[in-house]
Amino acid sequence: MILVMLRVMALSLWRDRAGLVLVFVLPPLVFIVFASVFSAGATGRLDIRAGVVDLTDSADSRRLLYSLQQRLSGRLTRLPDIAALEDAIASGRADAGLVLRDDLAATPTPATVLIHPGRRAAGEVLTAQVNVAAGQDLPDLMLRREVAVLDPILALTPEQVRRATKSPFGLDSPPPFAAQRILPGGDPLVIYYAGAVSILFLMFTAMQGAMSLIDERRAGLRLRLGLSTGGVAPLLGGRMLWLTALGVIQALVLFQVAAVIYGVPVLTNLPAWSATAVCAAAASAGIALALAAACNTREQAQPVSTFVFLILAAIGGSMAPRFLMPEALQTLGWFTPHTWVIEAYQTVLWRGLVNATVLEAWTVLASFAGAGFLAALWFEGRRRL
Amino acid sequence: MAAEQAEVVLRLAKAARRYGNKAALDRVDLELTEGAVYALIGRNGAGKSTLAKAAIGALALDEGSVRVLGADPSRDRNVRREIGIAPQEIALYPHLTVSENLDVFAALAGVSRAERPSAVARAMDATVCAERAGERLDHLSSGWRRRANLAAAIVHRPRLLVLDEPTEGLDAETRLVLRSLIDGLRRDRTAVLLISHNAEDVAILADRLGILEAGRLVVEGRPGELMAQAFGDRTELVVRLSAASPSADPILAARGLTPSDRGSCWSGMVVDAVAQAHEIEVALRRVDVELRELTVHTPGLDALIGWATGSVEA
Repeated sequence: MILVMLRVMALSLWRDRAGLVLVFVLPPLVFIVFASVFSAGATGRLDIRAGVVDLTDSADSRRLLYSLQQRLSGRLTRLPDIAALEDAIASGRADAGLVLRDDLAATPTPATVLIHPGRRAAGEVLTAQVNVAAGQDLPDLMLRREVAVLDPILALTPEQVRRATKSPFGLDSPPPFAAQRILPGGDPLVIYYAGAVSILFLMFTAMQGAMSLIDERRAGLRLRLGLSTGGVAPLLGGRMLWLTALGVIQALVLFQVAAVIYGVPVLTNLPAWSATAVCAAAASAGIALALAAACNTREQAQPVSTFVFLILAAIGGSMAPRFLMPEALQTLGWFTPHTWVIEAYQTVLWRGLVNATVLEAWTVLASFAGAGFLAALWFEGRRRL
Repeated sequence: MAAEQAEVVLRLAKAARRYGNKAALDRVDLELTEGAVYALIGRNGAGKSTLAKAAIGALALDEGSVRVLGADPSRDRNVRREIGIAPQEIALYPHLTVSENLDVFAALAGVSRAERPSAVARAMDATVCAERAGERLDHLSSGWRRRANLAAAIVHRPRLLVLDEPTEGLDAETRLVLRSLIDGLRRDRTAVLLISHNAEDVAILADRLGILEAGRLVVEGRPGELMAQAFGDRTELVVRLSAASPSADPILAARGLTPSDRGSCWSGMVVDAVAQAHEIEVALRRVDVELRELTVHTPGLDALIGWATGSVEA
């Protein structure tokens, strides 16, 4: 009987082409959007558009702007004057602006970054890029600035100044502060969002499938199904199995996209990934079946499930990274399947581990699945036809 | 040799169910034997569908009992496979073909994999829908869907068949298919509980007729006998005026007609309706009341329900 219901649901989805697209194409697309947005932050690639006014037009300023142009991938636009730059920022054609006012080597503050109050992050990024460009691509300029500062204090002779500015020191010396990568490769935020988007869509897909319970009630099918010799449990069991299988296939498609485009190591961690995918899909199926069984009509189920899933997604970290959340919300996240799914995928795919956290996540997700299924059985069993 | 006594297939004894303060079923006693067709009629909300659900064990009763072939269908899984139902809605999966749907419901009713193809073919033959076997339900017209809906109810050869408004919205050809199907089921000794508003179906098909009102089975008997008992030689006379008129009221009221539609329509059961109609026409002309329509009907189920529930004077 379970197999009969599996076949019914599989055939129904297979013949619903629009449904297939929504189930298998939409989630990878959303994942790509999220991953593109957030992985840029993780890799340091923040594509801002900047405007620049060079009032000095010196050799140093041209070198600085050339370096900056490379770093901003050609998104640096020269403007004739400060008014034009401010207009570009105000109108949104530029996210931030740079004004080179005086001799870069001899003036204490020769450059100013113009920041829009609504796009302060862009201003911070531009400031950082100017500093990096000057420090890495124009070390001689930075050295001349140091000498210019020291000269009045130390009363350097012209020869000392000449020797200091020609010194290889500063050109070849290592940076005073170095960054070192301490964890495995791969982009953790891409893996984070593969898990986050996966569980978000698993919930919605499972709910769409579970709402066939409501359609069956409305169409009188429930009466006919009620005459089946097995009763309610196999009918719900068939759905639970189907929704779990569908969820695993959906996750597989999404993670394959992540593997191909972003190099997420799914194949090398396939057994642990599979276990996580099954637990996540089963948890979604259980919760969706419970909600569908509790609601009388689609008109109830649609808004209720949307509300519940969006809240769970927001708290659980499917929308914004959990580490950006306040401590209390991060703690609350452990009550949602989303947090456990994200944590399990990150541990399995990024750290390459199956540790106590992963085992705990699988247990919690399986518990969500079991509790949801039992609740669905209870609601359906006491339902008046 | 004594005639073999027909086996009781469905028995409701003092079946009662309340929803809040409203009695959906009020101590209903009903018995249906093998090969018999029992028609159940009543107004909307009288409790017909509730009774149908109770009969198949899909509804918990507050009092009384339901037995199908001596067993409680809400508890006995084996007896459920002896029941078939065709709900008023098309209770089939829209993305599956006719034969796939029948295969699903045969499987759910416990028909073995080996027997399913022949069971599906037999059900499609009986409902004359084999030519659409491979078409998806959502690609069929409503008439073909109804046939498939019926086929799904009989695919496992039930001994009790519940049909809820099976001819609703059907064309004449499909009605004939249904009548032929029920005749065949009767010959196969299947008991049929038929919920219908169609007077013709009830008159032709039903052996017994029950009228439900507010959850109570108020009248029960053979259809012909009930009609004779209710109306004798009287027929229904309906008079429609172009507009309500005080001058017409005494003429129509004197003949036992009662008004509706704010006095522009009058109707009632009368003896010798044709002669009465002529007299009314002449009398209305004399008082300058314009007559829009004057019709004489054989009383239908609505009139019978009205008689049974006391809203039409017998």
